[in-house]
Amino acid sequence: MKVIKIYAIWCSGCLVMNQVWDRILKKYPIETISLDYDLNEDEVKVYQPGNILPVFIFFHQNQEIGRIVGEKSEKEMISYMKEIGVLSDED
Amino acid sequence: MMIYLDYSATTPVHDEVLSTYVEVCKNFIGNPNSLHKLGVFAKRLIDASSSQIASILNIKSSEIIYTSGASESNNTAIKGICFRYQNRGKHIITTELEHSSIIAPLNYLQNLGFEVDFVHLDEHGRVDLEDLKRLIREDTILVSVCSVNSEVGVRQPLKEISQIVHQHSKCFFHSDVTQSIGKEKIDFSCLDLASFSAQKFFGMKGIGCLIKKQSILIEPIIHGGKSTTVFRSGTPPVALITSLAKALRLSYEDFEKKTEHVLQLHDYFMKRIRNLDVFVNSNSFCIPHIINFSLNQIQSETMLHALEEEDIYISTQTACSVGNYSRAVFAITKNKNRAMSSMRVSLSYLTTMEELDQFFTIFTKKLEKLSDLKSNVGK
Repeated sequence: MKVIKIYAIWCSGCLVMNQVWDRILKKYPIETISLDYDLNEDEVKVYQPGNILPVFIFFHQNQEIGRIVGEKSEKEMISYMKEIGVLSDED
Repeated sequence: MMIYLDYSATTPVHDEVLSTYVEVCKNFIGNPNSLHKLGVFAKRLIDASSSQIASILNIKSSEIIYTSGASESNNTAIKGICFRYQNRGKHIITTELEHSSIIAPLNYLQNLGFEVDFVHLDEHGRVDLEDLKRLIREDTILVSVCSVNSEVGVRQPLKEISQIVHQHSKCFFHSDVTQSIGKEKIDFSCLDLASFSAQKFFGMKGIGCLIKKQSILIEPIIHGGKSTTVFRSGTPPVALITSLAKALRLSYEDFEKKTEHVLQLHDYFMKRIRNLDVFVNSNSFCIPHIINFSLNQIQSETMLHALEEEDIYISTQTACSVGNYSRAVFAITKNKNRAMSSMRVSLSYLTTMEELDQFFTIFTKKLEKLSDLKSNVGK
């Protein structure tokens, strides 16, 4: 299981979500690869992030199983992660 | 006839400002830090310019730090305060309406262990003062709120925010006043730090100011010689500084007359735009110079280029978002579709009624054409 986080330094939503994601990581350590929208342009293109940042893309056995776009609360993030099986109900 | 309605992005340089710049470049060749008379002449010119700026803005000359523009001023203010006062705390408060040159340094500082909170906005896009009171903590060292948002044009209640911030002796109040300087009269006495750039008021690109209360110290970003201040090194650009003073003086000359003219243009524009199939995002708390609206089912970028074909220039979002998504419009309207299709018209005292008439003639045609295309594609 891994997560690719696409963000930009000028993005206020990314600023908010960095804090949310850090709190989640403290509870549920998940391998996270951060890609800068401007500095990692070629790699970012592959994931077609659209025009709202940040984007969290969840992978299981190298297959994308879901993505979260834009600002969400910690509760919404965890709920979605359970829905797609990144976290179990016991987590 | 070219119709330029993007004055909030940048303004053309006033002829007199350009003449001043050229004149000073030619005649004041000395480095203001040199001890010989060419240096002394250049230094005197900077001092005179600083006195003029200080007098117009009702501040002290010693409170002026010259920078390359508002982005540098914002970076200098935010990083400067945070690095200097991090022993007091690492908490910062800002809004969703800030320019990228505020958000990016905050992201940078967050990676260094600072914590950032966004204060809630009310339904008009103004800072929720009660939420601000709730958010300020013992370790809050900085609150940064723009005076006017660049995309939608919402004015913030700086005085009220200042009163709340200054109940906390360890906390400083910074405002990016780039979108209001030259357009509004600003009370700098309620601000600890303020940033602006000359290119928004018919000055040259490449020069701006950070206004900083004398009692406050900041950690410089650019270290070196003393320059005009220890807080920003580099040989002072005499001609740019002089041109900034000139542009500022000119922008506040006939101020009431210019403001009245823009108000008339704004009212006329609003009357006409409301008859069209668009959603107006700007409200009564916005400055008259900026009118933001969203298109219905048409991409703003498509409209931007359609107008460009006719030599008409307006903006989509500030040049700092991905694609056409406007965070500011979303923060105010809470409507994703409107945030994805917003456009900004920005007026100045140079804009004429004839230009607006011409704009509406062409805009209406383009709107009809693009709507038809859209509905035909949908069939």
